Amino acid sequence: MDSWQLRIAVLVSIGRNPVSGAARPDRNDLLALELARKAGGELTILHAGDPNEPALADYLAYSAAPLEILPMPGGPDIVPPLAARLQGFHLILTGSRTEGGEASGMLPYALAKRLGLPIVAQALDLAVAEGQAEITQFLPKGQRRRITVRLPAIIAVHPMAPLTPRYSHLRRVSGQSVTLPAPASTEAASTAWRTEPARKPVVLQATEKKSGHARMAAAITSESKGGTLVTEGTPTEKALAILAYLRSHRLIEF
Amino acid sequence: MSGTRRINPRRPFRITPEGIRRIVLGEEGDAGEIALSPVAMASSKPLRLVGEATANLLVVAHSDRGALDAPAREAIAAAAILADPATPVLVLVLGDLAEDLGPFGADRILAVPECGNGAFLPDLEVSVLSDVIDRFQPRHVLMPDSPTGTGDLGRRAAAALDAEIATHVVELKTDSVACNRQGGTVLARRGLPRFILLDPGAIDAALPFRGAGKRLDYAAHAVAPGLYRDLGLKPVAGAALPLEEADFIVAAGNGVRDVPTVEAVADLFGAAIGASRVAVDDGRFPKDKQVGATGKTVQASVYMAIGISGAVQHLQGIRACRHVIAINSDASAPIARRADLTIVADAQAVMQALVSETARRNWPGDAADEARADG
Repeated sequence: MDSWQLRIAVLVSIGRNPVSGAARPDRNDLLALELARKAGGELTILHAGDPNEPALADYLAYSAAPLEILPMPGGPDIVPPLAARLQGFHLILTGSRTEGGEASGMLPYALAKRLGLPIVAQALDLAVAEGQAEITQFLPKGQRRRITVRLPAIIAVHPMAPLTPRYSHLRRVSGQSVTLPAPASTEAASTAWRTEPARKPVVLQATEKKSGHARMAAAITSESKGGTLVTEGTPTEKALAILAYLRSHRLIEF
Repeated sequence: MSGTRRINPRRPFRITPEGIRRIVLGEEGDAGEIALSPVAMASSKPLRLVGEATANLLVVAHSDRGALDAPAREAIAAAAILADPATPVLVLVLGDLAEDLGPFGADRILAVPECGNGAFLPDLEVSVLSDVIDRFQPRHVLMPDSPTGTGDLGRRAAAALDAEIATHVVELKTDSVACNRQGGTVLARRGLPRFILLDPGAIDAALPFRGAGKRLDYAAHAVAPGLYRDLGLKPVAGAALPLEEADFIVAAGNGVRDVPTVEAVADLFGAAIGASRVAVDDGRFPKDKQVGATGKTVQASVYMAIGISGAVQHLQGIRACRHVIAINSDASAPIARRADLTIVADAQAVMQALVSETARRNWPGDAADEARADG
């Protein structure tokens, strides 16, 4: 049965410590690596960027998988060379959003488009069986969704995935990293963005040209803000008023 | 008669909830109290859209139980602010829609109940979105970058259509968008791309005008089953959830002494339990249940405040809650101004009534259980 070997690629980026700003393995990508380890199979860690970045070697400490580096000097579009390297993998895992860099969360979607693969984001858990991956997906308000997807597939891991990556110094010193040949032709990345120093963002507000009378009228109505007031009745009637409110807004099922 | 202009002291007035008589400025006549509800004020806002429609701005959002959440309303407001007077704001709602989006700034509304509603149908949603983009040719598509599925759909659609996209937009201007980069140390700016995914809080949703709120008909084409299969939702029990993630919170304050009854009420609704600072300081609830400035900020759909007067610090923690229900013995407590429904009563009696009423009543779902018990 083991003639079919699950091949998993984990895409990793360079994160940054939120306090010191020092380069470090990205927390989200470490979760992806840990989830890949849990799923089993043959693992490859892949990074596109500067091969001389010392923080990259830390990824070796979190799994026994080989680390491959696509040298990408400058700022070219990393999607075409990554897609070329990712041919033949059954599962491609990555974090939902990088800590450093662009942090747009678009990479898994761009890769999925380029490779023609399905993508599931916000994954918390993963199980592979019979050419399918079963994914538990994070949704807000305490909801979880289960999805199966046919392999090969791309999965982006949610930051709240209940996983603990474990550091091993032995793995770090004995691990192998390979620098792949630089991609021959690269497309330039989008140049539409300009950077400026960070500051508090300005909230977009509608400009309002109002007369003094209109402002006064608005001030009067804001005083009356407040919902329905129920003062009369027995406790039972009041309890029923609450249930009626909840039911009319479809907030309870009974 | 002298030429002095005199002000009629019996001009139209209204009584505020505090019982203070307020003259309504701008109203003439000799009338008594007049009704001036917030709804009346809202409908008196002018229409934003004038003249012939030339282009479109599209807003896409998933609905939750027939209503849109705050990030979705912010996206609609953003489109309404960006749009010039001849550009309608077209809103594509994925899921049921039971509320009027006109006051939020929507001019034309397409509701597609075949999508959304908790189901995972990325292929269908992308096909609906590209069809709507094809048909209405919007200049920009604005979406909330929310984990309910809208952020996912925006990225999928932008990749599928090979369109320019800005995600996690923290600042929107009429000509540019800005996002945080390098862990928030750098702000990256560019001109408005086709797809704009807005982070929550980037827009002030209060508008001085309203949208036309006209519903359009739309029938989604069926899409062949894709590579995904949805096995359904699996809710986590409310009590096991962290407060920040809970959808229904029953919170107790100084007016509640009986903790087991609070737990029974929370159990009734599958809700998480919260508490005000006073109740936590008294040792009735652990510190991790505290809601407010020094505790947790919550985003529940329903927040039931039992015996909580509503100090500013507490109201700050529940700002994002959609429905607030207060049970309080004091009708003039600040929570009454925030709450959508205020029950003025002794909290203990109402809580017990809630528990006993729900247990006594024959709710439709219980019929099967009873039949089983009888048989």
